Parts: sequence; C-alpha cells; structure tokens
Amino acid sequence: MTVVVGVADMKVSNQASHLLVTHALGSCIGVAVYDPQARVGGLLHYMLPDSSLDPARAAENPYMFADTGIPRLFRECYALGASKARLKVKVAGGGQVLGGEEHFQIGRRNYAALRRIFLRNNVLVDNEEVGGAKPRTMFLDLASGRVWVKVIGQNLVEL
Amino acid sequence: MSLIPQILRSLKHLPPFPVVAQRALTLVNQPEVSIEELVEVVKFDPGITANILRISNSAYFGLRREIHSLHQALLLLGTQELLKIIIASGATRLFANGTPGYFQEHHGLWRHSISCALMADLLARELAATERTTAFTAGLLHDIGKIVLSLYVEQKFSQIMAVVEKRGLPFQQAEKLVLGISHAEVGGEMARIWDFPNRLRLVIHYHHLDRPEAFSDDMVLLIYLADLLVMMFGQDLGNEGLAYDGFPQVLHHFNLRERDLERLLMHFGSSWGEAKVFFGLVGDGHAVQRAHRG
Ligand SMILES: [Fe+2]
Ligand SMILES: [Fe+2]
Repeated sequence: MTVVVGVADMKVSNQASHLLVTHALGSCIGVAVYDPQARVGGLLHYMLPDSSLDPARAAENPYMFADTGIPRLFRECYALGASKARLKVKVAGGGQVLGGEEHFQIGRRNYAALRRIFLRNNVLVDNEEVGGAKPRTMFLDLASGRVWVKVIGQNLVEL
Repeated sequence: MSLIPQILRSLKHLPPFPVVAQRALTLVNQPEVSIEELVEVVKFDPGITANILRISNSAYFGLRREIHSLHQALLLLGTQELLKIIIASGATRLFANGTPGYFQEHHGLWRHSISCALMADLLARELAATERTTAFTAGLLHDIGKIVLSLYVEQKFSQIMAVVEKRGLPFQQAEKLVLGISHAEVGGEMARIWDFPNRLRLVIHYHHLDRPEAFSDDMVLLIYLADLLVMMFGQDLGNEGLAYDGFPQVLHHFNLRERDLERLLMHFGSSWGEAKVFFGLVGDGHAVQRAHRG
C-alpha cells in the first residue's frame, strides 16, 4: 500500500506492505531511515531549516523544520523498536534555482541544517542525492528498506 | 529549423478567452462593484455559482457562517476576494487539457498556476502592494504560453534539457534556442490576441525577466518571485524542475532577505492543505464531454 508523505509531514511504519512516498521535493528535503532488523522505517519531508523562524508554528507542526522534524523522525522509529546503530539514513532534495550561492538558498540551508544535526548526534548518511535543479520524488519500501529517487524523464535511481 | 511559423499558426486557432473571466477582469481594482454587476458577469456560466459557493464555504476562507448566495459571498468575502474566485473558476476551461511537455500530471499546469496565484496574493500582502487581485490574476495566467507550446516542448524536451544542462541556461532560454520562441513569449502573444490589459500582458511576456523592460514594473518582479517560491516549495513541479535564474536584484528591490523567503514559504505551506480546494475547480475535459453527450 502506498502511503503518501505530504509537505511538512512524516510517516513511520513497521508494516512490510507499506511503500512510503513523498512527491516533488523542490528545495525541501526528504529523509528516509530504516532499521533492517526491526523492519521499522520512516520518511520525513521538511521545508525549512530552523524552527526559530516561528516556534509556535513548529510546536503545531514539527515536520515543517529540520531541527524539530529530524529528532521526531528518529524518536518515533525508536518507539517502534528501531535502534540508532542499525538505522540506514538516506537523504534527497534540497534543490536550487540557477545562479549564485548567496540568494534563494533555502535548499542549501535545509541541507546544511541536516548536516549540523547529524554531526552533533553522530549520525552518518549512507547515501544522498541533493542539490541541483531537478524535481525529485522519494520512495521507501518498508519490506526491504530500499530507497529510490525518481526524477521526471529519468529512470528510478536507488539510493 | 525554427518552429516559429508553425507555433504562430497554432495561435490562429486559439479559442476565445472565457467570457466570465474576461468580464471579471474588467472589475478588478474598481473601488466599488455592485451585486448587479457581478450577476451580469457570472450569468454567462451556469455552473460557476456552485463553484463560488463551494470555495467560499471551504476551510480556506474559514468563515463561520455558511454562504448560500452570491450576494452573501460578496458581503462576507468582499469584492476583490470574490473576484479572485470568479476569475479562477472562469479560467478553468483554458486549463482543462494536459500539458505533457511541461507536466506529468494531467492538471499540473492548473495546479502550478493556482499555486502561483495564491503565492502572488500572499507576496502582495507581505509587500503591502495594493493590487492583490491583479497579482492573483497575473499569477494564475503567467504560464498560459505553456498551453500552446506544450506540444512542441514535448517533442524536443530532451534537446531543450540538454541545452539547460550543457550551457547552464534557464529553461525558457533553452526553449527559445531550440524552438525559436519561449513559453513566456507565446503567452505574451496570446495575451495580445485576447486583448488583456497591457500590464497583464507584460507580466506574462516578461515573467522570467529575460529583458531589461521586465524590471520597469513591480508586478512583473512580484510574479517572477512568486513563481520561483512556488518552485522552491516543490509541489507540482514541472518537468524542468527549478531550472530558472534566481536574480538577487529582485530581492534587493523588494527589500527581502532570505529569512523573509523562508517566512513566505512557511505561510504558504501552512495554508496549503486548505488552498487545494481551488484545484478541484478544473474538471476532467473528457468527463464534461461525456456529460454533454449523456
Ligand atoms: Fe514560466
Ligand atoms: Fe511558472
């Protein structure tokens, strides 16, 4: 069964029949985590790097921001029996329009925020497909833990 | 070989611009619009009142009272808000067909256009621009050139994307290089044929800021920025993704910082779920045909 993860949204699951998908990442970032032993995984689609922009909004919807959404993703997977040491982490999105590196950089800042959080918490990224101007859709198969990225007009790429 | 003659020929068979939207356009920014004038506008499309009531009563507007009539909608939403709904409902026929050169989804262009209209509206509010209805309308119609150019882009898509990738050009310039004309220019032509107000035509023609003229009108810059923000938001992204130029001078012009862009995206994202009620305005063209036959 396909479970759609919307914008500023997250789903975690231990149902092997679930295929989590999040569409059209733009400058947003998709984070897929999976524990192959517990067969627990989750997919987060966050929009913005930092909840200090609007803490009240972050309390309402933590999945909008990297710094509130990423910890939630891990915690909810732990709650279903995943362990940090076993989690495979894959990242996609963070797209940019063309041009310099100073303006319209939400995609880049989204990615930098994730890197900072992972560094602080000793999380390694197993694979990623970030930056550039391509629109990306991301899939996580709960049965196998496999993650794919689809760019329109191109073949599915496994992360 | 340039495809321009062929493309211009297909403009000869352009259907007329929907009359309801056209009439509603003439009421935009009028200080006062009477209920009689609005009734005059919507009477050309019997289905439109139902649409207006559905949108007016949706969570997007969050009214506490249920609206049962056009008159009530006018009182509770105000003229300009109601005009936005009428223009969007009236324009749907243009967007009924797929534009596979640009979007995989059958209604991708419609959804992108609605998103851009709502983002332009939000941006106009943020910038304290007075012409929010104009911004909404321009956002809705900025990419109409894609309706006509889709067929050609579909045939040459990989060639156009190769130009984008090898030469680092924005998509509309690659379009122009390969096809001889860009969707923005085709849209400008359509606006001329349909006799749009001059300003709306300029926005459509210059919305990717290819020419210095684009910088002479704030509305062009506003729509350009709304379009970019919608692409960054990502939902209903077209086949070309985010392959358009980001011009820092537009941010400087409006005195916007990166943090302001984040806030705009946050507000847009927060009302997104409710805004999707607008997507439902456009029906399936085939279904309409079936209904007429049956
Ligand atoms: Fe465009
Ligand atoms: Fe656009």
